[in-house]
Order: sequence, then structure tokens, then C-alpha cells
Amino acid sequence: MARVLQHEEEERVIEDPGERVHVWPHLVSIELVGALIYLLALSLMAILIRAPLVDLANPEVTPNPAKAPWYFLGLQELLLHMHPALAGVIVPGAVLILLAAIPYIDRSRVGTGIWFSTPKGLPITKFSAVYTAVWVIGLVLLDEFLPAGEGAHGISPLLELYGFPPAVGDIFVPLVFMTFIPWSLAVIVKRRWNANTREIIIALYTFFLASFVVLTVIGTAFRGHSMQLVWPWEIGTPEGVMGHY
Amino acid sequence: MGLWQKLTNNRFFKSIYREGYPDTDRKRVMVVINSLALHLHPVRVPKKALRVSYTWGLGGLSVWMFVILTITGVFLMFYYIPSVKDAWWSIININTSVYFGSFMRNMHRWAAHAMVILVLLHMTRVFYTGSYKPPREFNWVLGVVLLTVTFLLSFTGYLLPWDQLAYWAITVGAQMGGSTPIIGKQINVALLGGHQIGQPTLIRWYTLHVIFLPLIMIVLVSMHFWRVRKDGNISTPVYAAPPEEEEVQELPAARADAQEEAEAAAPEGGDEEPEPES
Repeated sequence: MARVLQHEEEERVIEDPGERVHVWPHLVSIELVGALIYLLALSLMAILIRAPLVDLANPEVTPNPAKAPWYFLGLQELLLHMHPALAGVIVPGAVLILLAAIPYIDRSRVGTGIWFSTPKGLPITKFSAVYTAVWVIGLVLLDEFLPAGEGAHGISPLLELYGFPPAVGDIFVPLVFMTFIPWSLAVIVKRRWNANTREIIIALYTFFLASFVVLTVIGTAFRGHSMQLVWPWEIGTPEGVMGHY
Repeated sequence: MGLWQKLTNNRFFKSIYREGYPDTDRKRVMVVINSLALHLHPVRVPKKALRVSYTWGLGGLSVWMFVILTITGVFLMFYYIPSVKDAWWSIININTSVYFGSFMRNMHRWAAHAMVILVLLHMTRVFYTGSYKPPREFNWVLGVVLLTVTFLLSFTGYLLPWDQLAYWAITVGAQMGGSTPIIGKQINVALLGGHQIGQPTLIRWYTLHVIFLPLIMIVLVSMHFWRVRKDGNISTPVYAAPPEEEEVQELPAARADAQEEAEAAAPEGGDEEPEPES
């Protein structure tokens, strides 16, 4: 039952929903099984693993490190490398606005309903994920270990050593990297795969997703005492967070 | 007369389920149309869309987490005391003296983490299957708002145990909010209900967590579901049309739905006309 559709923007597409089946029982049964599996899994987890509860809140004792919940640790990781207004407000705000804008940039209906839309979609996704991960990990390591004189490390301290004002290292350089990485990715994907709008958007979403995952993993599993880079097995319990109840 | 017959063959049961077990196509249509919960679905769905590997059921499971969180959350509210003095001790009480208290708290915690992950994965699924494309643009925007509300719900709940983890995580969060250019100070005061984390912060975040944000969530999820139906149900493959094919005017999704339900119900319809539900 394919239909040819004519849209306002003169895009001629074929929509092919294929054979239809009744929601009862075909979909309802899948939903029931899925819900039960999740309920069972969560119940098992609730029986086996206790939710954390540590010492009563104490404003006098700052834990070291003091960490946000895991889904904000990507942002907390950014906080180590740039101005707090950038890491805490402007970057997440811009990310949400850009995410919401996706369908107003990629307006073609072609490719709906197909994983990765085109044969190039999956290779582009894989390349973008690796490209982003290499950049992000590289920059985190660079900012951690780049010698900046007198035992200091990092891009920003090094720039200050050469007489630049703090804003250059804290605001300008991070903005340059955060613009250059997705831009260069889009250029590479366009040249190498002759990518269309959808495929470039796939590359850029993958940039967002891979950055989020890599930064969250680093913030969760690789940041220990004084937020220094450590191996996951060296993290242990933060100082000032005693007793699990 | 079997037990099933006894249970179902009476006035009371039939007043709830008018059609009996949906064993004919007509009844399969009617059961979906007549049920408040089921009528969120269309009557029929593309077979392709049923493959678990297409959607992984992530949107539905996110809502399921919300249901579990509501039930366990109400249970916790019976025992939790939103005061700086008592909050932590009331958690100890839940963990040690309340029947199923520890289980319900653990469940609430793990379901909350699961919901954040499921919502992120749902967004990623919708993205990579191109399901944000027209005519579904606005529902994608609603989804981004729902992601934000999910983060806020989780984060406001994080403070409530009033332990070291909670207190200092919120300190970090409030500092981030306080670094907003120009209005940072105001945001900080709005978040904390003062200049430092204390009783006003706790009661503020508690209220947001247990009533305001869940209400917002319910309204937005309803809109999200509604739009799924109005934007043509679950996405199915769309290809570029070769130029010479004949053109057919597109039916608005809602009308297509109603028409389909009417068609499906008609053959054995007889005296009663099914109500188009929009």
C-alpha cells in the first residue's frame, strides 16, 4: 500500500508502511512482555543492589572529589577545562537548542523509518564516533599533562605563562575547539562520502553523542582525588564520604 | 460452566468489557477503541514497526519507568520527611524499619537511573531512524523538552536523602547554575531558595520533585503521545519517488486513522457505529 505523496515543498516521496496487523494482540503482547521483563529486572536489581546512602550532609566537610550525578559528569568534566559559564550553562543550553533545531535543518522526508537512512549512514556514524573520541580523549590528556612551568599543567596555564589574559585559555580556546571539531568532521564527511544534509546531521549528532559518552565515562570512572586523572580501580571512596548505610 | 465463563458471563463483567475476549477482527478493533489505555494506539500498525530491533520499545519503557517511579515514589512519600533535621533519619527508617522500605527505595533509585538512560537511548533511536523528519518536527522538540524534564526530575530527587553525596552534588550543580552570565546570582538564589543549601532548598526541590515536575511530565508525555498519533503514527520507510509516478493527495494522519478504524469495524458492524476517537 505504498502511497506517493506530494508535499508543500514539492518533495515527491513514496511512503511504504507495508502490511498492517492488529494492535491486539500483536503489539499489546510485545508491550506486556517488555514491561514484565523490565519490572522483573528492576526488582532483582532492587533486591541485590542497595541504593547508596552515606553520611548525613555536613557543610563543614567537603568530600574530595565532590561529584554531580553521573549524567552531569560530562559537564563537570568540561568545567575542568573551561570557564564555568561556558561549561555549566552555555554549552548545555546550546546543545539542547541545537538538538531541538535538527528537524528544521534536515527537512527532507526521504530516509525516515530506516536505521541510518542510507547505506553511507552507518560508516559515517562509526567514523564520526571514532573521530570525536580521539579528539576528546586527546584534548583531555593534553590539558592534563601539558607542562606549563613550575609544576603547573594545562593549555590555559601555558597561555597565561606567555602573557595571554585568562579569557583566552578559558573561553576563546575551548570555543575554537568546540567549533572546529564538528566543523572539520562535517567537512571530512562531505568530502569523503559526498554526504547529503541527513548524513552530515548524522555525523554531527554522533559528535554530540560520542562527546557525551566519552566525557561522562572519563568524569565517572577516571577522575579521582582532586579530580585528577586516575585508573578506575584507583578511585575508591571520596574523602569525607564515610559509612554506607 | 467453567471458571472463566462464571467470571465473564455476568452483567458486571460485561459492563466493563462490552465485547468479551477479542477473538474476532471486529472485537480486536473495538477493544482498542473502547479502552482508555489501549486507544493511545491506532487499531492496526505496520508489521515492520513491530520488530523489536526497530524501536527497542524505548519510548514505552521510559513511560513504564515513570509509572514505577510514581508508585514507588508515593510509597516513599508516606515515610520521607522533607526537613533538614529528619530527612536522613527518615531514609534510615525506610531502609531498616519499614516493610519493603529498602526494596522500594532501591527500586526508585534504579528505575530513576534506568529512565534517564532509556530516554537518552529513545532519543538516539528516533534520531538514527530519521523519525524526527517532517511531519514529526515538533514532536522531536517536545522530546528534547522531555529529556530536560527527566534530568530535572532525577536531579531534584538526588538532594532528598540529605547525605554527603546529595549535599555536595547539589553544591556542584548550584555553582554551575550560578555561573550563568548576568543573571547567575538570581539563578543561584532561585535554585537554593537563599544563599546557601538549607531547609528552603530542600522543601523547594522536594515540592518540584514530587508534584510540579511530575505534573509537567504527565502533560508533556500526553502531548508527545497525542502528536505521535496526529503525525501519522510510528515512522515507516520513506523513499524518494521516481518523477513519473502518479500523484495521490496525502490524507491527514488523523483522518486516515479514523477512516481506517471505521473500515475495519464496518464489516460486521450492524447496529452500532464505532465512534471515531478524535
